[in-house]
Amino acid sequence: MNRVTLRKTLISCALLGGALLLAIVSMSLLGSERLPARDSLCALASLGTSACGLTPDQFDILFQIRLPRILLAAAVGGSLATAGAGYQALLRNPLAEPYLLGISNGAAVGTMIALVFFGAIEWVRPLLAFSGALAATFAVYRLARGRAGATPERLILAGVIVTTFLSSVIVFVTTLMDATRIRSFTFWLLGDLSGTSKALLPVAITVTILGALVLTLHARSLNLLMLGERDAFDLGVEVGRVRVVVFLVASLLVGSSVAASGSVGYVGLVVPHLARLSLGSDNRISIPAAALGGALFVIVADTVARTIIAPRELPVGAITALIGAPLFIYLLKRV
Amino acid sequence: MCFLCFFVATCSAVSRRTLILWLLLLAISFGCNSGAKPALDGPTRVTRVVSLAPNLTEIVFAVGAGDKLVGRTSYCDYPPEAKAVAEIGDTLHPSIERIIALKPQVVLISTSSQLEVFTQQLQNQNIAVVVTDPHDLEGVFRSITQVGEMLGQKDQADLLVTRLRERANTVEQAVKGKTPVRVFYQVSGEPLYTAGHDAFVTDLMRRAGITSVTADVPGAWPKYSNESALAAKPDAIILPTGGSMGSANSDVTEALRQSPAVLQGRVYKINDDYLTRPGPRAIDGLEAMARALHPDAFK
Repeated sequence: MNRVTLRKTLISCALLGGALLLAIVSMSLLGSERLPARDSLCALASLGTSACGLTPDQFDILFQIRLPRILLAAAVGGSLATAGAGYQALLRNPLAEPYLLGISNGAAVGTMIALVFFGAIEWVRPLLAFSGALAATFAVYRLARGRAGATPERLILAGVIVTTFLSSVIVFVTTLMDATRIRSFTFWLLGDLSGTSKALLPVAITVTILGALVLTLHARSLNLLMLGERDAFDLGVEVGRVRVVVFLVASLLVGSSVAASGSVGYVGLVVPHLARLSLGSDNRISIPAAALGGALFVIVADTVARTIIAPRELPVGAITALIGAPLFIYLLKRV
Repeated sequence: MCFLCFFVATCSAVSRRTLILWLLLLAISFGCNSGAKPALDGPTRVTRVVSLAPNLTEIVFAVGAGDKLVGRTSYCDYPPEAKAVAEIGDTLHPSIERIIALKPQVVLISTSSQLEVFTQQLQNQNIAVVVTDPHDLEGVFRSITQVGEMLGQKDQADLLVTRLRERANTVEQAVKGKTPVRVFYQVSGEPLYTAGHDAFVTDLMRRAGITSVTADVPGAWPKYSNESALAAKPDAIILPTGGSMGSANSDVTEALRQSPAVLQGRVYKINDDYLTRPGPRAIDGLEAMARALHPDAFK
C-alpha cells in the first residue's frame, strides 16, 4: 500500500472509529428506561468495574441488556456492510447485497433448521446459517454465470430467483411449525436485536473483525478484479483463490449476523455506497470504512427501534429499510 | 414531508403485519364488534355453524349447541367432543371450499382484520359472518349470550353467564382488600411479548387482585423492552403455558431472572388456554391466577 492510500485509510478509519465509539457511548444513554447520564458515563468509563452510583438494576440494564445489544448491533452492521462491499467488488455489481442476492435468506433457512432441529444448541445456529449463506452464494453465482459470463443483470435475476425460492422454503417451514413458535420467527425475519444472546455475541464480534480484516487484506486484488477477471488474472491476481476467500468470508459474515439478528436489510447496500461516494472506490479504504460505517448505522437504527415507541419496540430491519430505501433512491439518482 | 409520509406508511405496514400475526396466531380470538354485519334477518333458526376460533367453539359447546357445530379449526381442541367435528384448516388459513361444502348458515370469527376478503366470499355464498371480539370479561359474557341466542339456546346461555358471573364475583370478593400484587405477564420470552392495555387477560388480572405492570401499554400484545421489564421489578411473573403452548414459554426471560419475582420464587405457570381464549374457561384462568397470587384469600 502506498503512503498516500495508507494515510487516507488510517485517517478515515480513525475518524469513523471515533464516531463509532461515540455512538456506542451516547446510544447506551438512551433507552426505554432513563438512566442518570453522569453515573452511566462513569460506569462505562470504568468498563463496568465500578457502579458509580447506579443502582444494581440500573447497572444491569446498562451492562446486561443495553450494551450487549449495542455491541451486537455494531457486529451485525459491520458484518453486513463488509459483506456487501465484498460482493459488490467481486461481482462488479453495485447492487450486489446479501439481502438482494438471497444470501440472507439462505442464512435464515439455515438458522431456522437449526432452531427446529437443534433448538437448544446455540452454536449450531451460526454454523448452519453460514452453510445456508454459502449454499445460496454458490447457487446465485452459478446461476448468474451464463455463456456470456456473469452480467450484472443476470446476477440480480439469479438473486431474485434464489430469494423467492428460499422465501417459499421459509414459508413452508413456518407452516410446519406450531403457532407459538411462528411469532418469534416473524419478528426475527424482519431483523430484530432484542434477543441478544450472550453466547453468540462474542462469535459475532470476532467474525466481524476477522472478516473485515481478511477482506481488507484482499482489497488490492479486489481493486484489480473490478477491472474484469481476465485483466485481473493478467495482472497477477489469483482470481479463483480470491473468489473463494471472498465468498467464504462474506458468507461467514452474513451467516453470523443473520443467526444473531435475522435479516436486517439495506445495510450491505447503502453503507458501502456511502463509503465509496465519500472516500472513493479504492477497496483498501472503502471496505474498512464500510465495516465501521455499517456498525454505526445499525447502532443508530436500533436505538431508534427500541426508543421511538418505548416501552414497546420495533424490529430494527424496519428502521434500516426506512432509512435505507430513500437513501438508496437518492444515491441511484446521483450516480 | 415526503419522508414523513414514507415513514408513516412503512410504520403502518410493519404494525399491520405484526398485528395480523398477533391477531391470528397468538390470540386467535380478539378484535372488536364492528366488522362484518351479520346477515341474519328475522327468526331464521340457525342449525349449522362453523367456528373459526377455539374460544368460540368452547362457547358453542358450553351453551349446549355442540350438535350444531359442523366445522372447527385445528386449534379447537376443547371440549374433547369438538375433535369429532370436521376440521376446516387453522385460524390463519381456513379452507373456504371446505367451509362452503359444509353448508353452514353462520361462520363465527373472532377477528375481522385479515378476513375481509374471506368474509366477502362467505357473504356472497349467503353465509352470515358473526364477529365477536371481547376485550374484557363482560365482553366474554356478551359473546356467550350472543352465540346462545343465535343458536336457540338463550336460556342455557343466560344460566351459564349467571354461573360464571357468580364465580367471578366470588373471586373478586375474596381478593377484595388484599394488596394487589405487581405482576409481569410474559406472553413469550424471546422476543419478549406481554399483555397490554387492550388484552382481555389484563382485565382478568385486575379482577384477580393483580396489577399488571404493563396494563397501560398501548395495544393488546406489544413487544416489550427488556430493560423496561427489568426496571419494572415485578413481584410475581405469570407464564401462560402448558396448554396449547405445550412446554413453550415455561422459562422466565433472561432480563427478569434477577427480578424480585424470581428471587422470591413467585413465578406461576397457568394453563395458557384459560388465559388466551376469551371463552367460558376464562373463569378458570381468573380463579387460577387469584389462587396463585392470593393463596391466603382462599383458605
